[in-house]
Amino acid sequence: MDLLFSLVINGLMLGSLYAMVSVGLTLIFGITKVINFAHGEFMMIGMMLTYIITTYLGIHPYLTLVFVVPLLFLLGIVVQKYLIEPLKDSDEHIQIFATVGLSIAMINLVLMLAGSNNFNTPSSGLRETLGLGAATVLTGQVVIMLCSIFMVGGLHLFLTKTQMGRAIRATAQNRNAAQLMGINVSRINMVTFGIGIACVGIAAVLLSPLYPVNAQTGQSFVLIAFVIVVMGGLGSIAGAFYAALIIGLVDAFAGFYLGSSLKDVAVFGIFLLVLIFRPSGLFGNARKLAHVS
Amino acid sequence: MKYNHKLRRTAISSVIATVVLGSISTSAMAEVKFGALYPLSGGLALLGEESYRGLELAVDQINENGGVQGETVVLETGDAVDNNQAIGEARRLISQEDVKAIFGTYSSSRSIAASQVAEMSKVPYFELGAVADDVTERGLSYVFRTNPTAYHMAETIIDMLVNSIASELEVDPAELRIGIIHEDSNYGSSVAKHQRTFAEQEGLNIVMEEHYPASIVDMSSIILSLKNEEVDVVLQTSYQDDSVLFLRQANERDYQPKAIIGGGGGYSMTPTAEAVGHDVIDGVFDVDFTQYNVNPDFAPGIEDFQAAYEEKYEEAPRSGHSLINYAGALELLRAIDAGNGFSADEIKKAVLAMDVPDGETAAGMGIKIGENNQNERASMMGMQWQDGELVTVYPEEASVADIRTHQ
Amino acid sequence: MNNKTASLTSVRGTGSVIQQLLNKKVLLFVTLASLIVIPIMVGDDYIYHIFITICLFAGLSTAWNIVGGYAGQLSLGHAIYYGIGAYTGMLMLNAGVSPWISMFVGAVLAAGVAVAISYPCFKLHGPFYALASIAFLEVFHVISLNWVGLTGGANGVMVPLELGWSTMVFSERLPSLVIVFGLMSLVLAVSWAIRRSKLGFQLVATRERESAARGAAIRTVHVRLYAAAISAGLTAMLGTFHGSYLTYIEPESAFNLTFSIQIVLFALVGGLGTVFGPLYGTILLVPITELARGWLGSSAIGLHGFVYGVVLILVVLFMPDGIMSIFQRYLPTSKGRHVDARDEKSTHHVPLNDVKKSERAPVGEVVLKVQHLDKHFGGLHVTNDVSFNLHKGEVLGIIGPNGAGKTTVFNMISGFLSADSGSVEVLDENGHFISPKTPGAFARSGVGRTFQIVQPFAAMTVEENIMVGAFYRFRSVEESRKVAREIAYELGLSRFLDEEARNLPIGGLKRLEVARVMAMRPRILLLDEVMAGINPADLREAIELIKIIRDSGISIIAIEHVMQAVMELSDRVIVISSGEILAQGEPEEVVKNEAVIEAYLGKEVTDASTE
Repeated sequence: MDLLFSLVINGLMLGSLYAMVSVGLTLIFGITKVINFAHGEFMMIGMMLTYIITTYLGIHPYLTLVFVVPLLFLLGIVVQKYLIEPLKDSDEHIQIFATVGLSIAMINLVLMLAGSNNFNTPSSGLRETLGLGAATVLTGQVVIMLCSIFMVGGLHLFLTKTQMGRAIRATAQNRNAAQLMGINVSRINMVTFGIGIACVGIAAVLLSPLYPVNAQTGQSFVLIAFVIVVMGGLGSIAGAFYAALIIGLVDAFAGFYLGSSLKDVAVFGIFLLVLIFRPSGLFGNARKLAHVS
Repeated sequence: MKYNHKLRRTAISSVIATVVLGSISTSAMAEVKFGALYPLSGGLALLGEESYRGLELAVDQINENGGVQGETVVLETGDAVDNNQAIGEARRLISQEDVKAIFGTYSSSRSIAASQVAEMSKVPYFELGAVADDVTERGLSYVFRTNPTAYHMAETIIDMLVNSIASELEVDPAELRIGIIHEDSNYGSSVAKHQRTFAEQEGLNIVMEEHYPASIVDMSSIILSLKNEEVDVVLQTSYQDDSVLFLRQANERDYQPKAIIGGGGGYSMTPTAEAVGHDVIDGVFDVDFTQYNVNPDFAPGIEDFQAAYEEKYEEAPRSGHSLINYAGALELLRAIDAGNGFSADEIKKAVLAMDVPDGETAAGMGIKIGENNQNERASMMGMQWQDGELVTVYPEEASVADIRTHQ
Repeated sequence: MNNKTASLTSVRGTGSVIQQLLNKKVLLFVTLASLIVIPIMVGDDYIYHIFITICLFAGLSTAWNIVGGYAGQLSLGHAIYYGIGAYTGMLMLNAGVSPWISMFVGAVLAAGVAVAISYPCFKLHGPFYALASIAFLEVFHVISLNWVGLTGGANGVMVPLELGWSTMVFSERLPSLVIVFGLMSLVLAVSWAIRRSKLGFQLVATRERESAARGAAIRTVHVRLYAAAISAGLTAMLGTFHGSYLTYIEPESAFNLTFSIQIVLFALVGGLGTVFGPLYGTILLVPITELARGWLGSSAIGLHGFVYGVVLILVVLFMPDGIMSIFQRYLPTSKGRHVDARDEKSTHHVPLNDVKKSERAPVGEVVLKVQHLDKHFGGLHVTNDVSFNLHKGEVLGIIGPNGAGKTTVFNMISGFLSADSGSVEVLDENGHFISPKTPGAFARSGVGRTFQIVQPFAAMTVEENIMVGAFYRFRSVEESRKVAREIAYELGLSRFLDEEARNLPIGGLKRLEVARVMAMRPRILLLDEVMAGINPADLREAIELIKIIRDSGISIIAIEHVMQAVMELSDRVIVISSGEILAQGEPEEVVKNEAVIEAYLGKEVTDASTE
């Protein structure tokens, strides 16, 4: 029983971490219809920034949010404006390669500047353990858990209650109609991309005290994030959150019962089953795949 | 087509230009070229470069003392970023640079790929740092290895556990519940395989074995399994990230086995200790190539090496990789110096004649090429993190401190 | 008409002897020859290695292009097949079997795996397919790591260094180059042949418009599975070769995502979906990578990877059609058969040729029976108990307001949707009524359809578009081409045969749509708003066109909003509203029906009926 409880707690902690990383990806995916293969690299850059600012200014890592999030927001806007937007009428292949190229370039840029070293952001008390019955969690993990809930809730409120949020949703549902209603679609896409990247910036700041960062860090998270986004349903933020928790639990249980080397098979196996049998995700509505007019 | 033609022409002429310029800029003394093949870019670059520095320092030292057979040694580097590239670079070194031998490689898979080329071209290939068994177990006649391997690492780990740690803990080794965890590339798997064999020979009780990808981000399930199996002694073979992750999470989840013995990679590096916290890593064992807190009487020249390193690179050595490459390369170059000419067979003859006893190289180990062209005197050191320092504790003659046990 | 045509013309205008010599065939020949000749002339092992690498990647990239380019399925997991080939070769060589044999074993295995993987995934498109292929690659990587008994796990597999042709392990480089050059040539030849075959047309058609392709009786899943299997098999053969060349293989290098991306990158830079683009892409990029490595690689970690990523971004932004698009623009093809569209007085007006007009045959027996069709979309009852018959040689008009469910009925009587209940029966050639289920089955039973929103295969020429339809009847490319030309002539499209479909005006596209269906020689033709949005002159001709089709004995059902056409053509009219048949009968009768006028048709119809 204790063991089961520990596994569940582990799974939920991991799941909320995955949720933080995935939320921005699903937002971008849902609105601009672009899979951002460089998403993990934005997170890596965010973690690097957190490390640099924390060690240079000697401040608490969480305070770097003030710098990291706006910076990544701007970076997202720039990427959308100069890379994604010009390709909006291109083939899907081309769009995929734009972000794949971006990912390769970003990883290697960091390798050039920082080498392949690991950087450890000071943990500043965020690695203190909290007993939770048989399980132990870190304060930093609890913060991530809470923040992931706030982030999902906040994004939901933003999308439903604000003018900008409604415009974003309108664009997601029908680009042309939105355009006719006087919504500046390319501006909406820019803002969405910026917000998506800013979200992964928040994730980066919160992760930094718990995980070391190097040029390849983004790669470790991004495939899982794709799995979550597809499982949760294209562009569904709540869906991504639930999917992240499920994947977190699968990760924890498969890691224990199948072994760490085979748990990826479990995760990707589930992913493939979802893709094949429920391509609209576990929580989304059925999407029409064949286009018949 | 014109484009491509031009490109190739440019490629060739540029290579030629480099060679010509390179030879002009060095002194008038005759030269002999050796290849240095390491991963110098990509994911393995950090320790690849660290290994290369060891070779570079050995060459510097040899050249200061008159070179080999009166000729200055020039190193031509090749970047073995992946296997196909390792082959390409080996081929370039051999055919374009006309190197007389190749030194390398840090990474086992690059070494295996590249040494096949050298073997087929009859150019001696000296492995100074890769640990997989297959490097020397293929029956190749021009591939030699000076460094200790996965076999030696496992042997030292089990020996140290049975002979020293168990007695310090005052338990019968057979009663210890042992868990083996390792990263899943050929490095971790090779070491784990030998650990199993040696442990069985000693009648030890392995209760758990698990491998994981080195890019793992969460090891809590592994720690749960270890706790669940009540493992007393954890043997981990790992790189840096996964060492840090394991030690941190084990500590946070209040998992305190009687001993943790790390194999190489991350466990020997100061950044690991800093990331984990010196209080957490204190008492953790490590078996690896010779590191710097070793009895200098057993490793003569180690202090000079450190001084030369710091002078040349303006920092302290980042790991023992440079030292083991240095020690191997230095003795090989000396042997070649004592030989007669640079033909493959003369070099082979010279190298086979080496007979350096234990305790006479900067890494402590002796060098004598034995079966499969593997250095039969290669050995690793047992170390322990004590008060923020990684000190050598095993074997006795190399140790600078006694083993400590907690509680 | 557009820039493209203009530039084509100007090139032809300035065509000189040099340009004639520098055509694509010559370029290709010189390129291929130099891949062998240059290394032999230089005679250096390293140069050999680079050229072997070029041939290897050109082969892999061309093989990928069959499924990734022609079929448009962006696989980022092609290393799976490379790895299967390499492992099969290594393991069998260790068991004493020559790579010359295991190469084919690996190819068959890989083709099998490709079919097994692709079958469930082919309903996924674009990014989803790409993600699925990455996931499969990860799964294969983990399996190869963990199945130690077979693959040797992380330690990989090595071959003993027994030199010779039978083991494919050599100490000199020339034999390896010859083998890989041969394999690459084989892949190029296969790729070239596919592009020119029926399969190639069907693949491109499927890529461009899947639903239209299904309407043309293409078994879209089958053709893509063929492509996947061929592509995987060829990839595996190259994998077997490379295994022997490396003499060592491990999971890390065999099932590698970066490697997969590299393969695709070369195809992208060369030109996706072109036959020789991947070859030129590889020839351009491999030496650049080598140079970058030589100059920068060891001095700065990551610099060449950075350059790589930036090149990729730049290509995507500024040259998305790859190097081949440049060749296309500046080098004449050896055929030199460009249509100068400026010869036409007006491209908006597509004149109808004088075609021999046959006497109209009397309306005959029932050829299509639709009974009690019902369909719900969620809570919406979109088709409610629709029944009607169609007779031979008859024109049946279907009218009704937007959203009435007309196209839904069409989709059900052409197999694109299945009804919740009710039946559709078609009189087949042997005089029996059958109930087809899929678009392909409907097409085979003689039902052809057009789409409300025109669905041309945009990247194919007009001729090729029509050929896709003709392939339904003919196996050979030449026969199909002949039929396509005949039909193009009949429908007044002859002048545009070599024009890409995307350059046609809307009237031409509508006509192309009809031509493609006609090439299948249907006995029942379903026309979905072919008159919408065309200008009055075209409208007149379109009506005449349909009359000609009708007079040849083909039965027609036409959804139409243009009342002039409905009144003039229809023998009978059905009015559908809210999914139900509201009225049916002779056009004049129906438009006089009070309910119809009031509720659905409004004043417009009264005007039309008085014309």
